[in-house]
Amino acid sequence: VAKTSLMSPPWPEVKLPDPVEEAKYHAEVVQKVNKMIATGQYGRLFAVVHFASKQWKITSEDLIMMDNVLEAECGDRIRMEKVLLVGADDFTLIGRPLLGKNLVRVEATVIEKTESWPKINMRFRKRHNYQKKKIIVNPQTVLRINTIEIFPCLS
Amino acid sequence: RVTDRFWRVQEVLKYARHFRGRKNRCYKLAVRSVRRAFVKSTKARREKKRFLRALWITRIEAASLEHGLKYPAFISNLLKSQVELNRKMIADLAIYEPKTFKSLAALAQRRREEGFLAALGDGKEPEGIFSRIVHHY
Repeated sequence: VAKTSLMSPPWPEVKLPDPVEEAKYHAEVVQKVNKMIATGQYGRLFAVVHFASKQWKITSEDLIMMDNVLEAECGDRIRMEKVLLVGADDFTLIGRPLLGKNLVRVEATVIEKTESWPKINMRFRKRHNYQKKKIIVNPQTVLRINTIEIFPCLS
Repeated sequence: RVTDRFWRVQEVLKYARHFRGRKNRCYKLAVRSVRRAFVKSTKARREKKRFLRALWITRIEAASLEHGLKYPAFISNLLKSQVELNRKMIADLAIYEPKTFKSLAALAQRRREEGFLAALGDGKEPEGIFSRIVHHY
């Protein structure tokens, strides 16, 4: 039978590796990473955190400024849940979509609560005598990320 | 009598000091330029979001092509594997954490292959239907 264009799919044929062997390999890798975390063989950790409806890539001793009010006094310690990704030099832990709270711990302190610089909102239509000027001042909060810790509870 | 005309005029001229030509000195010309500058800045604040998103997308595309994946394949497979990183983060990771980006690309590639296999299914014809290919024995 002659080969037509619709006989085989347009993508190249793919073969997945053996599931049993793959499971073994995965367990090995997980154990190795667990050991590395337990012995503390990582340098600087970075994390991707979802906070104030934005995603931030943070490390320790990091400053973050958000364009809203946090209901916390200056000097309060905050623990950030909703961690999407944690990584070091040799390994990364990717959450689907979030990582467990018993795996990662991100601590931050509120440093200052200020207002933004006065932004000017102006609308103007020519020849129609229409102009409006509004000065917008947003409250801002500055956080400092103190530590990012990971615990060896992978499975 | 108006006594603080100087300060009213300075309020406008202070925003025009870095302009070119007589607009930075003469009030009549400065008022028009300052007004246009404010209007343009308000509109630009809305366009900045679109512009930055396009920039992130081009960066992610370039980085994923280095790993042999196209942007639509990369993003759709990442979303299907329930990784909810937004484009800003992926672009930042591609710049500053190349190893992490490589692992994300590998994850997307693996999910893509699994999708291909799932789309092919069993490879059998549905029951009760004549196949187009007539087998001659």
